[in-house]
Amino acid sequence: MSKKKNDEFKPKNLNFSMRRSFAIAFKTINQFRRDRRTIALLSVVPIAIMLIFGLAFSGEVKNVPILVDNQDDLYTHPFPAISLHLGPNITDSLLNDTSVDVSFGNYFDGIDAVEKGDYYAAILIPANFSEQVVKMLTGDNETVKMFVYIDATKPTIRASVLGAVHDALDDSLGEKGINVVQILAHEGAEYTGLDVGIPAVIAFVMIFLLLIVGLITIVREKIQGTQDRLYSTPLRSSERLLGYVIGLLLIAFLMIAFVLIFGVFVFGARVQGSVFLLIFAALLFGIAHVFMAVFLSNFAQNELQAIQFAPLTAIPSMALGGMLVPIVSLPGWLQPISYAVPLTYGINLFEGIMLKGWGFKELWLEFTVVAGMCLLFFVLAILTVRSRMRD
Amino acid sequence: MTVEAEYVIETKELVKVYKTGKIKAVDELNLRIKKGEIYALIGANGSGKTTSLNMISGALFPTSGEIKVFGYEVPRKRRLITNYIGIAPQDYSIYEDLSLEENVRFFSLIYGMSKTEFELKFEELLKILRLEEKRKTAAKNLSGGMKRRLSIACSLIHSPKIVFFDEATVGVDPVLRSFFWEYFRSLKDEGITLVLTSHVMDEAERADRIGLMRAGKLIAEGSPEELKRKHSASTIEEIFIKLSEGEIIDE
Repeated sequence: MSKKKNDEFKPKNLNFSMRRSFAIAFKTINQFRRDRRTIALLSVVPIAIMLIFGLAFSGEVKNVPILVDNQDDLYTHPFPAISLHLGPNITDSLLNDTSVDVSFGNYFDGIDAVEKGDYYAAILIPANFSEQVVKMLTGDNETVKMFVYIDATKPTIRASVLGAVHDALDDSLGEKGINVVQILAHEGAEYTGLDVGIPAVIAFVMIFLLLIVGLITIVREKIQGTQDRLYSTPLRSSERLLGYVIGLLLIAFLMIAFVLIFGVFVFGARVQGSVFLLIFAALLFGIAHVFMAVFLSNFAQNELQAIQFAPLTAIPSMALGGMLVPIVSLPGWLQPISYAVPLTYGINLFEGIMLKGWGFKELWLEFTVVAGMCLLFFVLAILTVRSRMRD
Repeated sequence: MTVEAEYVIETKELVKVYKTGKIKAVDELNLRIKKGEIYALIGANGSGKTTSLNMISGALFPTSGEIKVFGYEVPRKRRLITNYIGIAPQDYSIYEDLSLEENVRFFSLIYGMSKTEFELKFEELLKILRLEEKRKTAAKNLSGGMKRRLSIACSLIHSPKIVFFDEATVGVDPVLRSFFWEYFRSLKDEGITLVLTSHVMDEAERADRIGLMRAGKLIAEGSPEELKRKHSASTIEEIFIKLSEGEIIDE
């Protein structure tokens, strides 16, 4: 009797079993197969990263728009007999340089255009340039000047323009000795270090924080069931939306204050323009993203799915928004996409106000676009909050 | 404008078809619930109880049919009744990261209550629901039974006239359950109408009137005694089995 019982209860199936491992493996694959969203994410994101970063980082800064005013005249020196016309050589050299995109025009119009951000530099080759060079060679003159009115708020772009100018001088003259006089635009604003990245960081932090924290907050409302409870209270969807805006913006502003204080005291950043305008821009930019979070929350059933929006928004934003690579340096067909990326406008706004001291006049387009985003996502958010109840 | 209607809740041919899956969750439901009644909707999971409750409370739009609460048409005039109804959904529906007190205060603010109004009612509820010790505790650190009581406190803070308790006594220990029923009776004595749902059949015995739901339809309605007499059965479960004729429905 007892022996039989022992037989029946003989330990079995306790050895290491590949079958069990395979069961786990197949279950894992099956779960993954059912999760279409993650599959889509995993197949799209790597390709997007390769494409975007490959294209964006294909070289150094390219196609920086500059204006050249060549006033140089042909100079014929009587004795010793030398005839020189350097201006066209220099402009030809610049035209052949892919790091700059040359337009010709009046130097003083160019200065205005640099201030407005249409060009990054305006270059003046003075009328008697060739004459001065000849006189320098004959020893009658010590230095020759050339004037570059330059936007120095972006170190990489500035270096690229100056590089092109020096290369052009080398090509046409074969020797140095020309004094390239830099006049800094935006009231002499000059950035060389980490301080230049702060406006972009603020814009990026705002997008990330508001979108992800906002999404999680709203999605959690759904998971916890508090959303259903709220639907049976007097709370209006507009009240709810405003509540999210206030709460999330307060968090975002704490974050911005932190970045700004850190930037000012550690990296020595400055705010050239109006601090109030900066706050207003941040407010508008933030509101647009809270509304966007409310709208996007329709497409996320749980926190994990909400988190998946992070790489989807962060990667294109970083690559195309002008944070890492100036938009002018992107391939032509990619540039229109840059203007569909919200970060582009955030960076333009914050850089314009902080680095260049710009106001409404120069930034009206960015303000209009961000205000338009607010309106669009407000309507979408309100509409979807309502329709959710009808499902 | 509101006439003191005999029925505080009335539904006519109420239908809900969910867009996703095209399931007819509620199928021509006709309900009439009197003021001060404890009405229990009884049925298995998926029989349409929660869907019905959500439609009546205005949280969900019906596909067709009519709903009147206090004589007001829902969902069209749902905002007018929101201050007079309270709902404790099936899942606790509380903010896990907030403390017990913060949770209840939040809902009191949503209902536009003043600080003193809140404090008065909150202290009363804490005492009745025996949660005094836990007021500062984060909701996520409360036990299941306490979370349930917190959820009920949130639904009662604004002194509603009708309360909907969705599966409020599920998974609750027998002592607490009997306490709940005592409390429900005391609410009834205050003139509050209670609409409960449960998938536990014996729960129904304690209600004034019950509606048996199956596959979105109301298959029987009446007081427990009436129903037992009518179907010559000794328990509600027996009636349920009789009416279902042994037919097994996929939920």
